[in-house]
Amino acid sequence: MLKSEKKSLIRFLLIYLGSTFLLFSIASWIFYIAQKHHLLDQQRENLKYEAAKIITHLRILHESFDQRLVYPVLPLFDSAIYDLDKRYIFGTGKETPLLEKKQYMENEEKLYYLSEVQPYYMGAAFLLVSKELDEKPIQELQIEILQFLFAAGVFFTLLGLFLGKLFIAPMRESMEKMNLFIQDTTHELNTPISTILTNIEMLVTFGKCKKNDELQRIEIASKTLSSIYDDLIYLNLNHQYYRRIESINVSDFVRERMVYFNVMAVNKKLELDVNIENNVILEIDKNDLTRLVDNLISNAIKYNNKEGLLTLYLSQEFLSVTDTGIGIRKKDLDTIVCRFKRANKSEGGFGVGLDIVNQVVENYGYTLNIHSKEGKGTEVVVKWEK
Amino acid sequence: MGKIIFLCIFFYAELYAIEKLSEKEELQNTCLKCHAYDQIPNTLIYKRYLVKYSTKDAMTQAILKYMKAPKKENSVMPPPFFLKFPMKKRLDLDDDKLEHNIRIFLDTFDMKKKLILPH
Repeated sequence: MLKSEKKSLIRFLLIYLGSTFLLFSIASWIFYIAQKHHLLDQQRENLKYEAAKIITHLRILHESFDQRLVYPVLPLFDSAIYDLDKRYIFGTGKETPLLEKKQYMENEEKLYYLSEVQPYYMGAAFLLVSKELDEKPIQELQIEILQFLFAAGVFFTLLGLFLGKLFIAPMRESMEKMNLFIQDTTHELNTPISTILTNIEMLVTFGKCKKNDELQRIEIASKTLSSIYDDLIYLNLNHQYYRRIESINVSDFVRERMVYFNVMAVNKKLELDVNIENNVILEIDKNDLTRLVDNLISNAIKYNNKEGLLTLYLSQEFLSVTDTGIGIRKKDLDTIVCRFKRANKSEGGFGVGLDIVNQVVENYGYTLNIHSKEGKGTEVVVKWEK
Repeated sequence: MGKIIFLCIFFYAELYAIEKLSEKEELQNTCLKCHAYDQIPNTLIYKRYLVKYSTKDAMTQAILKYMKAPKKENSVMPPPFFLKFPMKKRLDLDDDKLEHNIRIFLDTFDMKKKLILPH
């Protein structure tokens, strides 16, 4: 993993996990408070119920008024009665002063329920019932919430890693493509520049020799450089480029481009079968047409076998360029028009040629068909009709 | 010295007991004697006042009000009570004496003294 990728992944995980943890913490806290209140309410309800029982006992005691009045004692509960002036009358446990008049009270150890007694049986106007706070269900709730947070943390960390890698994948692909592109560019530029320099050196050194071969090589190398430059400019400026649509005689144009590429074809000893119908006119930008035709012809030369056959056919309906070269694998046919896609890396190039052809075809609403058999050759057909 | 302190405590306790006894006697002579004669249910009266007023002070004031002007309206006892038992005559005692006797009456029947916890 590259350093920048690692950095991006860590940043993503920090933001993603941080926000998720914050969200879950708030949600868990709200849930905990609500559940704790619910658990305390259950315990308070018990107090209320026990208070009602004590009041019933007080009524019975009041009515009996025997010599000995046995105060009701309930297991686990303490209670005390107070008169209207909140003075302690009697109770279990130690004497607790009655300070507040809240119905429910609690401290860290106990829950209290204050009930008003009406009428004042045994003179009691208030009954205070208390019970040890049952911490067990609250602790169980805390443990459950912590377990949930831990499980959620593990799950979302794994999910975050998965998502992070998923999001980084296109970036990684782009970077890999970019690296490959830079490698290809340097290589592609290196070959013609070396050719030019070597042949110039030969011309200087052996000034008296036949200059045709060297000049021809320089010409081919310069044209290759020019083609590379034009393709890169086209790709770079394609969206901002202002197109000047005009009627162009494609027949004359293709003948002209065939002459232009003739040196390269001759150099590869290709047999040419060119069949061009006269007066094929298209409404198109000249630069677009140049990129379309040049890429089709240069691909057919580049990927052709030495001494192979290059067939070009232009009619009112379509332009077809066929070579007898390496061909394209069946599985690559659907993606061959994607940028930087190269069916065979043994040959030079960036993998931008067919991408440019496809862009021109899509811009003008033409149709592009590629038929190929691996090892046999490729036919590229561009149909003009819309 | 010890003997003197013991004698002082003894005499003080004796005096307190005599005072309490005399208070009881006073209540007996002033109130309970007639109550017994007329078969007035003291416990019932105490319970009625207790269930309505809760505190000793409030009960004392309510009974005092009735003692000073013995009428059905000034009593917490239900009307049938006065059909069965005769209406009390106004006592010829000053307020302090009356209040004192009421407090002794309430102390005598104080239910707080009867309350116990189960064994």
